[in-house]
Amino acid sequence: MSNTQSIAPVPIDQIVKATNILQQSSAPKFGHELLPYFSFKQGFLNLNNGSYGALPKVVTEACNELMAWQEENTDFYYRIGFIPPLIGVREQLAQLVGASDVDELVMVPNASTGLGVVLRNFLWQCGDTIIRCNTTYATVYKTIQYIHDVTPGLEISEFQLLFPTTRQAILDGWQKHITNVKANAPQGQKIVAVIDSVVANPAAAMPWKEMVKICKDVGIWTIIDGAHSVGQEDLHLADCGADFFVSNCHKWLNTKRGAAFLWMPKESQKIMLTTIPTSASYVTPGPDRPETNIVSQFQYNGTIDYTTYLSVHVALQWREWVGGEAAIHQYCNNLAKKGGALLAQTMSTKVMDPNGEFTMAMVNVTLPFPSDFQAQYDASVGTALSNKLLARNMYAVTYYHNSLWWTRVSAQIWNELSDFEILGNALVTICSEIVSEHKSANVPQNCKAVSFSSYLEQPLKGAVALDSNNGIGAPRPVTSTKVTLVGYHTQLASIRP
Amino acid sequence: MANVVSQYESKPPPFGHEMRKCFSFDPEYINMNHGSYGSLPSPVAEAIKPYYALAEANPDLFHRFTSIDLIRDVRKRMAKFIGAAHTEEVVFVPNASHGLNTILRSFIWEEGDIISSCNTTYNSISRTAEYISDIPPHPEVVQFTLLFPTSHSEIIQNWRAYVRSLNEMRDQSAQKLGRRPKIVAIIDSIISVPGALLPWKEMVKICKEEDVWSVVDGAHSIGQELDLNLAEANPDFWVTNCHKWMYAKRGCALLYVPKRNQHIIKASFPTSHAYKKGGGSNFVEQFEWNGTIDFVPYISASCALDFRAWLGGEHVINDYCHRIALEGGKRLAQILGTEIIDQDQDFQFTLSMVNVAVPFPPTMSSAFEIDMAFRRKLLIKRKIYPAFFYHNGKWWIRCSAQIWSQVEDFEVLGQAILEASKEILEEFGDGTEKKTMGIEDKVEKVN
Repeated sequence: MSNTQSIAPVPIDQIVKATNILQQSSAPKFGHELLPYFSFKQGFLNLNNGSYGALPKVVTEACNELMAWQEENTDFYYRIGFIPPLIGVREQLAQLVGASDVDELVMVPNASTGLGVVLRNFLWQCGDTIIRCNTTYATVYKTIQYIHDVTPGLEISEFQLLFPTTRQAILDGWQKHITNVKANAPQGQKIVAVIDSVVANPAAAMPWKEMVKICKDVGIWTIIDGAHSVGQEDLHLADCGADFFVSNCHKWLNTKRGAAFLWMPKESQKIMLTTIPTSASYVTPGPDRPETNIVSQFQYNGTIDYTTYLSVHVALQWREWVGGEAAIHQYCNNLAKKGGALLAQTMSTKVMDPNGEFTMAMVNVTLPFPSDFQAQYDASVGTALSNKLLARNMYAVTYYHNSLWWTRVSAQIWNELSDFEILGNALVTICSEIVSEHKSANVPQNCKAVSFSSYLEQPLKGAVALDSNNGIGAPRPVTSTKVTLVGYHTQLASIRP
Repeated sequence: MANVVSQYESKPPPFGHEMRKCFSFDPEYINMNHGSYGSLPSPVAEAIKPYYALAEANPDLFHRFTSIDLIRDVRKRMAKFIGAAHTEEVVFVPNASHGLNTILRSFIWEEGDIISSCNTTYNSISRTAEYISDIPPHPEVVQFTLLFPTSHSEIIQNWRAYVRSLNEMRDQSAQKLGRRPKIVAIIDSIISVPGALLPWKEMVKICKEEDVWSVVDGAHSIGQELDLNLAEANPDFWVTNCHKWMYAKRGCALLYVPKRNQHIIKASFPTSHAYKKGGGSNFVEQFEWNGTIDFVPYISASCALDFRAWLGGEHVINDYCHRIALEGGKRLAQILGTEIIDQDQDFQFTLSMVNVAVPFPPTMSSAFEIDMAFRRKLLIKRKIYPAFFYHNGKWWIRCSAQIWSQVEDFEVLGQAILEASKEILEEFGDGTEKKTMGIEDKVEKVN
């Protein structure tokens, strides 16, 4: 298409034809009928939307069209073309999450970046305090660690969150913790709290707005890691009281991976000096710097592929077509609760959160290991669980928390109750295999995940040289069995967003 | 799923307009500014589709295992390509700005430290240095002035004198502070605007002699500068965009940190789960996962090298581009009645980008509006566009010669610029009267 004739910007709907099909047909019911609309390998049981999301075929095709548009005339695209659709996407998201103004919301590649750029913009001083939890997501946990390591005299105060628990117990504990921190912090030094709206492991919807209020009442900054929020729950950020909120669009909102938003009301923008990397439009703070300069800095700060951000538009169209936010949330939340109960029954174990006060679309169930096995943490168990699930063409997250092994299962619109039973039966077998392998100190070498080249109809040629195992096979090397329990694994294999 | 690489079983089209078959440009658009954002060849776009399919076929398998293994293999290939001594010295970052920010932010800045940039440093990197200076403890930014026309030998001479003066500054600070501050110099291997190859290896050597950190912005290097050998050149840090001259998909750059300096890089951005104090001891691991992104651009670097090998390899590609840059630039200068920026220095600055003066009187305003006017008249209206920039009292054009370019393109451009400049002179005046609005010195620089 020739878009270089006029100066007027071309809306995404004129560029993307893939979504036309949505007007011509009605969506199937939620459940397995939706599987053909995604691109999972035949038979892959995806019970882990929470980690990496999933791209509907329509959105994949739309992204191909957006990428082709980018290549037609890259100067037009990067100097003029991408700007109006990007603002359009920000407007759509601002409306979706209940921001008061589009200029409170900018796009970032992922939650880790959003949280990282906020945390690194504060001018940290000796005597400042950062509050995190043992359950804070790994990259954020370590960002705080890094800031501590390079700022002499900065304190980290860690709030211990152990499940199972209750919302009230968390709030009581949090109140005590905040009171304590406030009492011990030097006068005039800032305290910044990083709070999850939804903890990743265990999956738990937190009473974060109440936690924000507790902080706000005593002048503590609040940064919300809402990585799992948008698309899984309704948001009304304008009156949430937090200072910053970040969420991934590529988890529960069906966008291409590499899209997230950072919400920062006008007051909060005062501490934001720069993007990372710094943009060409950076202006030294002072009277010459325009008020919304940080927002324009986020528009361009290094060459990236804006397709990920623009895919929000198409993802929202798809979600509307498939049933709309409310229907999606309701289906997933109901399935998570029923599925969790069925899973626990199948494995003869327990759901972490039986009355559902922490449960949205993800549910946590104990794994069927004997209690003496549970008590002694061993990182290789996590590796084995991961590999054995993949070898069976399925996946759910597994993790160690509060002296027990758990699985975290995501309920999505392509899932049905029977999926949970299949997972349960598989885990029973897998866990008993692991126990006997451990007893005989025999972690098998043939515990291979399925070779990725089997996914292709024809082998790749002339591309990256594949090793004789076709790229993947052996489980990650086992590290020390003396691992300090910090609520997340240190092995690459066990990354779980 | 088609086996795209079967295309490589037939011969490639000849260089020149027929090579447009391998790209997906708007047929009416003459691309003379590859240098800003790169161009993705269609065979590379096809070659990466299977990886996208894998990412969706089993997102967990892909993100936890497959992509990580693939990218390790690609890093090995890239390390060899740039002549790094070890694969562990090379990691992927989304773009050069990101890599340079990672380096500059990793230094623990102290009072008295000096960041050296240049008037020709890429705009976002200059701003990065400014930002670092804006926050406590306010290291000082000092600028090396580089004005064309000049020569490699003059630059080397001036650079040596400049770095020595930085050392004198440092010695004075050291006396007051009771310790010796550090000097970190940002050096372009190839300047963006003008598009000019610098004697960066000699400049790096001088930095070493003078105990100055060398941070090389090689954004334009890979795929344009031949026979890179970083182990030999031995900069302290080096960054390049694979998505510019090397045909990778956008969002693909390399950060090179020799082992001796990895302790300086305290953390990636964003910080990795693998971060630990004392940084650098697990340099590679810290850059393997920094949040969920589209990892396929990193993999595409290898597919891009396959495409380039099919075309005949680096020398074949660059010999053509260089020849067209010179021939085209000369033709353009002839049509415009102006000059190529380094014609009196035997074109020693010219690789695949050539810089030709715009036919304006010397009084012409340097205002940003002029750049915007060219954008309207050329990019939008006439569908042909080079980069524009204002340097040392003149407006210039930077043209990128590529494998689809022919000298005829420079002729079309020449006519377009003649017409457009005449229009602009009428609209804005020649600078002797005040017709332009806006701040005189706010000129947008180019990529």
